[in-house]
Amino acid sequence: MFEMNRRTFLKVSTGATAAAVAAPKVLNAMENELGGKDFGPVTMAERQAVPLTCHVCNIQDGAIAYVENGRIVKLEGNPEHVSTRGRLCAKGNSGMWYTYNPDRVMYPLKRVGARGEGKWKRITWDEALAEVTSKLDAALKKDPNSVMMKYGRDRTGGAIGRFMKTLGSNTVVNHTSVCESSKKIGMEPTWGPDIETPDFENTKYILNFGSNIMEAAYFHNPYSQRLTEGVAENHAKLVTFDVRCSNTAGRSDEWVPVFPGTDGAVALALGHVILREDLQDTDFIDTWCNVSTAELKKHYKAFTPEWASKLSGVPVETIERIAREFALTKPATTYTYRGPAKHLYGSYQEKATMMLSIMTGNVEKRGGYCLPRGMGYDQPSPQPPGGAKPSYLSGPSEYPLAGHKVSHMTPLWIAEGKQKINVYFTYMDNSVYTNPGAQALWGKLYTDEKLLPYIVSISTVIGEETALADIILPDCMYLERWEPESMPNSLWPWLGIRQPVIKPLGETRETRIILRDIIHKLDPNGKRGMKQYWNFKDGEDYMRQQFDNIPGLKQAGGVEFLKKHGVWPIYGKLNPRTGKISDNTGREIQAEFGLYMKELSAADMAGASVDGHGTIHKNGKAIGVRRKGKNYVGFGTGDRLINIRVDEWAKYGFNPMPTFKQIPWHKDMKDDELVMTTYKYNVHVQSRTASVKWLAEIVHANPALMNADTAAKIGVKTGDLVRVESKVGHLVTKVEVTEGIHPKTVAISTGCGHWEYGRLSTLNLKSGPEFGGTEDADLKNVWWEDKGVHPNAIIPCVVDPIGGSQGWYDTVVKVTKAGPDDKYGDVVASYEKHLEAAKETMRYAYTGDLHRKMHPEMASWGGPASVKGGGGGGHH
Amino acid sequence: MTAVLRSAESAEMELTNEELVAECKARANVYRLLAGVFLEEPTAAYLNALRSDEGMAMLQEMGAAFGEDFTAMPLPQLQDALAIEYAALFVVSGGCPAIESVRLHGRLQQQPYFEVREIYQKAGFKVVGARFAIYDDQLGAQLSFVAELLERAAAALGSGDRVGYERLTKEIKRFWALHPGKWVRGYATLLERAAEHSFFREMAKLLGGFAQWELDLLGVRVEDLDGGKLKVPKSEIEYEYDPAEPVCNACDKGRESGNKADEEFSNIDISRIQDRLAGQQTERKG
Repeated sequence: MFEMNRRTFLKVSTGATAAAVAAPKVLNAMENELGGKDFGPVTMAERQAVPLTCHVCNIQDGAIAYVENGRIVKLEGNPEHVSTRGRLCAKGNSGMWYTYNPDRVMYPLKRVGARGEGKWKRITWDEALAEVTSKLDAALKKDPNSVMMKYGRDRTGGAIGRFMKTLGSNTVVNHTSVCESSKKIGMEPTWGPDIETPDFENTKYILNFGSNIMEAAYFHNPYSQRLTEGVAENHAKLVTFDVRCSNTAGRSDEWVPVFPGTDGAVALALGHVILREDLQDTDFIDTWCNVSTAELKKHYKAFTPEWASKLSGVPVETIERIAREFALTKPATTYTYRGPAKHLYGSYQEKATMMLSIMTGNVEKRGGYCLPRGMGYDQPSPQPPGGAKPSYLSGPSEYPLAGHKVSHMTPLWIAEGKQKINVYFTYMDNSVYTNPGAQALWGKLYTDEKLLPYIVSISTVIGEETALADIILPDCMYLERWEPESMPNSLWPWLGIRQPVIKPLGETRETRIILRDIIHKLDPNGKRGMKQYWNFKDGEDYMRQQFDNIPGLKQAGGVEFLKKHGVWPIYGKLNPRTGKISDNTGREIQAEFGLYMKELSAADMAGASVDGHGTIHKNGKAIGVRRKGKNYVGFGTGDRLINIRVDEWAKYGFNPMPTFKQIPWHKDMKDDELVMTTYKYNVHVQSRTASVKWLAEIVHANPALMNADTAAKIGVKTGDLVRVESKVGHLVTKVEVTEGIHPKTVAISTGCGHWEYGRLSTLNLKSGPEFGGTEDADLKNVWWEDKGVHPNAIIPCVVDPIGGSQGWYDTVVKVTKAGPDDKYGDVVASYEKHLEAAKETMRYAYTGDLHRKMHPEMASWGGPASVKGGGGGGHH
Repeated sequence: MTAVLRSAESAEMELTNEELVAECKARANVYRLLAGVFLEEPTAAYLNALRSDEGMAMLQEMGAAFGEDFTAMPLPQLQDALAIEYAALFVVSGGCPAIESVRLHGRLQQQPYFEVREIYQKAGFKVVGARFAIYDDQLGAQLSFVAELLERAAAALGSGDRVGYERLTKEIKRFWALHPGKWVRGYATLLERAAEHSFFREMAKLLGGFAQWELDLLGVRVEDLDGGKLKVPKSEIEYEYDPAEPVCNACDKGRESGNKADEEFSNIDISRIQDRLAGQQTERKG
């Protein structure tokens, strides 16, 4: 018998500890499984797992949604996904809040009051489609281009473009100019693709210019994993140039604060030192670039560390040391995101930074600066031909090189009558919040019925922009729709799928179904020739037409395979010991490198010719380049070489070689003036996440970050109110004093300070009309009362005359202690001043009067009249 | 309201079988009338019926005091105004959808949605929206469901099936206890405050009163979990203890000399605890 009192038991049982530790363990916590399965904690039953591609932001992580009793109860990473390897960020984990958001638009709504008054009437889909098509019909009869589509995030796999082509309109405007277009345009003419894929995991040295890789950069989930592995396991050195000590800068070996907009100068000076000290990879430059090492050395002579130091504030010795370290450490890579690119002349800055990887021969090397790997998918046949007439708004003549468009100038150009718009579609966008000028500029455009007579918003929620629409067509959330996906977010290409985890809620419809229904209503019997392009039963059917004939995937099972796994191919298994993907031999999978050095086959060469530069042509296209007697595929440029010199730029009077232009209005800044920059938190995208409670709880306010010395001069401390005044308006916000920012910079994050987008974003629940707020069971737990202040209204339009980007980080402001009449949250900006600023920035376009002044080195250029034909780079 | 529908003391035993049948049908009608407020924007037929002499008399008897915005407005304008208010209250971002999942979980289509769907299915019903799709746990659907059960209960009584009637009554009680009883009263007070149009305001009042009357009639005691429940004036709170009496010694008042609690504390006999501790020490030493 086991007889003893509890105290004795306690005493004697201590002897069991060692044996207990040594005994075999058979039960592991489920979390140790690395995902792929999930169980209800109450029912103990395995939950239904639906793999998909996340779409809270645009990284496109592999995810799994778990469903219990019909509800999506959890999201986690898909362990079969080669890029994200079972990890999902905070935003992805919160994704079901989108679906179940009580502020979602569930029915078509028609405006009944004045625009923005907030008066709506629910109408049926039939009524909505009838109204939209009658407006469309009238607009198409006048001019197909008077139907405009402005989209923010289009992941429909081509449906938006198909819709506009079906209508015959070329007026399609994206959001890319407020995103990263000058980065793309800095890269595309140089080496083909619009982005790089650095091999952080295997590198030894990373020069990071203005990217918050660990928190907010493009592909931050897969990249932060690999960057951490590179730094922690491979002992790579990470050096970050940034105006702000971001979470990435803070975790770097060195954070080098730079004056805003001078990264390019620093990069050129680094290049100068590398070339001066003969540390470049001469063989790579002379073999694979269109400029020789000798030419490059000559060109870089002017970009001395002393010159860059004066501009950027980075000490000469720091530039020299980092240049040597970078050039002498192999492999190494650079990486950039918005920091260098979002300026007037951001394209030059991007070009200057990528040159460091090029001149050191780190391109397409293991641990180096690699080309993106992507996979394509088909488009259903037949495909519409598109509109006959060019559209000014989607291809403004003043910016012929801005292949990703110049969307943020839309208000000015519509106000100036450059193009008449009759029907304006907006899809997954929120320009009234996300663009420069925000409510002051875009809000004015949207409320003016003369400028935009009819606004159709395809949206999931009433955000700042949708609030000003005439009709809202309720789109469904990403967990309820079909979409094809592919993203170059690691060194392994993949195709993915988004599939409905649950049926669309309410009367929401998939985007492509909405568009199809509009076309079918417009052309019910097919006589207008439109219906033929929208011949599919549902989203899944469309998906089959896109995926079922892809070689390899077809054999694996096509859409059925993707429905089961979410991604194709499956490169291996997630190794619980390493957290990396291992193949069936247990070894970690290895990426392929040197893509440009793939040799062309005899079949490829049949009928091909080689020109004097070695470029191989076939059927009127450059298919490769001959080097040292071998025929390689080369790079994705016109001559298949890396174009250090971009002749197309010279055609428009821009410097074709790597260069730097200081922001003219930064030259003579007064002592009390600062440059205002913006940034993004890891839990927020630009505007959509403020309505997600878990994320809003983490970050809901955005004080202005200011250097301690600067704050002392102004006489403010953390928590004090300050007035931030630019040339177009002012705002009043709180200040947070920190050492982690350049003294001449003030930084205010985006993602906060909403005035629409539902109750959580606006915090319209603590006071005023109580309904819909404190009474909600969960929302009464909203403990915070500060929703932040959105800065975009006081940021004027700036256009990079090459890449078309908005100069987000160029705004000069004066920051002062708030006055007695200033209130927290005040945002006052002038429409007229915004228009003036927009006109002013056009003076830097190749057609503008300041273009020559900014390019004295291009004195021999023949002027705008000398230019014939269109621009290059990007996707018109 | 209570004057007409009577209070909880009105036991069914006082009613004859025919009266019970009539009462079930009358209750079902009130449920349907209220469901009409929420299921969709009020239709012309619905408004005409409400604004008829008979309808207005009944509503007035129940305590509804509509303003001129309801009584005097021409039908097309009234319909228009109510459609706009309906959208603002129940459809547009920032409103207060009459949906149990939203009220109790802060999100759409949560557990209540699936639970009521199962209950409807067991009873042989499926929610099919009229002009618009609606959620199964939308208030209009919940009220319609009880109306259907009451119709069945009336039919059971009419055919002498007392067991069937009692089973259905239990089903109604269970449903109230599990679903509308948890949120409708609180929600009604919220809606009453949020509504700008007297139609929705008065209908919210009617809903709240009727919900309490039904709960009393059914003998269901369930706490309203909706945060929008009535705020009870302090003066009406009945204390079962003296709120002025200190409950701990943390506050100054509790530490005042001569305080009863102090005295009791000082009189606690701790000798047995001391003995036990001493025993433990001896045992360890041993």
